Amino acid sequence: MAARGRCPECGSGSLVEDAHYAQQQLVCAACGCVLSEGLLTTTYTDEEHLREVAYSQSTGQKEQLSRCLQRGIRRVQDLCKVLKLPAAFEETAVSYFQRALELPAFHLVSLEKKELLGGCCVLVTCRQRRWPLTMGTVCSLLYAKQELFASVFLSLQRELGLSVPALSLADLVTTHLSSFRLVQPNANIPAPFLEDKEQLVARTMAIVELASDTWLVTGRHPVPVVTAAAFLAWQSLRPGPRLSCPLARFCRLAGVELPPPAQLRLKELLEILLAMASQLSWLRGFCLDKKTVVKHIGDLLQHRLFLLKRAFSQQDTGLGMGSVSQECQGSGLPSSPAVPQQQGCPWAGQQQQRGTLRPLLPPCLLHPRKRLRAAAPSAASAALTGDEPISDSEIEQYLRSPEEIRAFRRAKAWS
Amino acid sequence: MEGESPLERYLESCSGQDDFSTSPHLFIPMSPYDLELPIQASSQLSQSKELHTDFSSVDLSFLPDVTQDNKEQNLSEDGQETQKELDGSLSSKEDSGVFMDESSLSHPGAAQPSPETPGVCPPLTPMTPITPTTSASESSGIVPQLQNIVSTVNLACKLDLKNIALHARNAEYNPKRFAAVIMRIREPRTTALIFSSGKMVCTGAKSEEQSRLAARKYARVVQKLGFPAKFLDFKIQNMVGSCDVRFPIRLESLVLTHQQFSRKEEISYEPELFPGLVYRMVKPRIVLLIFVSGKVVLTGAKDRSEIYEAFENIYPILRGFKKPS
Repeated sequence: MAARGRCPECGSGSLVEDAHYAQQQLVCAACGCVLSEGLLTTTYTDEEHLREVAYSQSTGQKEQLSRCLQRGIRRVQDLCKVLKLPAAFEETAVSYFQRALELPAFHLVSLEKKELLGGCCVLVTCRQRRWPLTMGTVCSLLYAKQELFASVFLSLQRELGLSVPALSLADLVTTHLSSFRLVQPNANIPAPFLEDKEQLVARTMAIVELASDTWLVTGRHPVPVVTAAAFLAWQSLRPGPRLSCPLARFCRLAGVELPPPAQLRLKELLEILLAMASQLSWLRGFCLDKKTVVKHIGDLLQHRLFLLKRAFSQQDTGLGMGSVSQECQGSGLPSSPAVPQQQGCPWAGQQQQRGTLRPLLPPCLLHPRKRLRAAAPSAASAALTGDEPISDSEIEQYLRSPEEIRAFRRAKAWS
Repeated sequence: MEGESPLERYLESCSGQDDFSTSPHLFIPMSPYDLELPIQASSQLSQSKELHTDFSSVDLSFLPDVTQDNKEQNLSEDGQETQKELDGSLSSKEDSGVFMDESSLSHPGAAQPSPETPGVCPPLTPMTPITPTTSASESSGIVPQLQNIVSTVNLACKLDLKNIALHARNAEYNPKRFAAVIMRIREPRTTALIFSSGKMVCTGAKSEEQSRLAARKYARVVQKLGFPAKFLDFKIQNMVGSCDVRFPIRLESLVLTHQQFSRKEEISYEPELFPGLVYRMVKPRIVLLIFVSGKVVLTGAKDRSEIYEAFENIYPILRGFKKPS
């Protein structure tokens, strides 16, 4: 822009446009007087050509947390408060969440998944600090679908490369049982059903260890095992009035929901206990069944290492065995191959008390479900090259005849 | 067949190849049977490419160079005989697989001696698919059985799916649910998804050859329906195998021992989500599902040898859990 006018001080006409720290100034070249400064705009035409700085290019976006992130962090913090987690957990969970949300794998997913992501971060934090939080709890708090939660959890583990240790059963027992109403004095619960927490926890822990030694825990959901074990422990601590109480009623009294697999786990646990009871010398005289063995759980647990060795054959590959025998003195046990030598076994010649021992195997191997075994590929198909000629007749069997097509057309009225 | 080494078979075939002079990749007028030849050429090419990489560890240095760049030489040499030889080696692979499987069925748990390949010297690594096992003491004696093969092929012509669904008996088409025709054939028992772009996915076959044969049958059906279908870029995308180690495995302990020795291979054992342990092996890139019963499922392979290799890698780890009996 051409400098116009005259300097008011010295009257010279040489005015220069200069910038003082990027601020435009009109200065007189002769005397140095500043005529005007700080003009924000020049002319209307200039204003039209200048472009503003977009928000996405400015630094503001980077410094401010996005609304989505803010909401997510708030959710994570709320979750931690509801679960009464220590403060350190909250920080870790929030940091995981922030890291995860930046990754492309999580940035563009649905809102539903982002909500679950917060829960997954909390779960990962708890697992790493050995705080027993089950997925079921988190899912119920978030009103989440189990499958969706599972997929978000697994992808979080993969994307962030986190090592998530397994849920520790011992801690789970403690936490789960503390939510039982039977351990606190309560007006609704009859006196014989109340139980001391320490004793219940100790015995449940022992039964859960027994279950994991006998392959009842591997591959199964942990909570039903703990529920079944707690039930047995509770019954055995005071068998008298409690034997008649079924599992469902126990869960109702405890204020805990009964997971469906718990009945099966209970059955399996009782089978194991009966097998062990058959080896205990002072119990051999009794004919124990599923109810009465509960009375002796204390003894069985005390000598469990010894009994496990005696009650089950140590062969892992004895897959020819069929069903587990029902232990009762007079019952005939199914015959099986090699019986392992038992030292000091004066009863060997006697009634099949010791005759055949069930191998210590997971239940899926002991009771294999009948499966259609696909026949091994025959030699003919093995000699297949993939380039055999294909006969016309074979292909024609897959094509519709004209009459069929007409009939179909009429029936379906293809558009 | 098994007594002959692949080397001897190749030499036999080389003597027979002089009869064939035509290079099959010239244009041939369309008619149902003649269409086989261009398909064969591309299939041979892909087959020979795959197999020549597999033969890399076998000492064939005195033979003329048959590399991927030498396609012309390859095609002119490839005739029926060579194809038979390649297929013969493939079938011997399968035969040995069958042999192993049947004998492993009859002798559970017993270690199997590797089938004889006397012509091939010790430089054979376990990676060679000729025999899935190495020396008798090392091998597991268990051969994973292939359960499912997923392959894709390009028919290279636009298809009218409604037309196909109308004219074919074995087709179902529900555009609201899925934008492809689902076609099934009885032999080999497979299912195909045929898209309107001409691409096709074939699933359910139990071997690579079966998958190829099935894909060709689907292409023939489409041809008979009046579309100028070709058979381009047949590729096996995924192979699933399974086997049984015959002893129970403590999955919790497997997670703990893994954390000690390898960090790159990912292990995920979440009993709350899935009863099996998911083991993502890095080399070869295979995902293994390991269950407490001892059954192992291997998936994600592009080639049969990857499944065998992955199993041979995992077996020593699992064997550590076997109780001495």
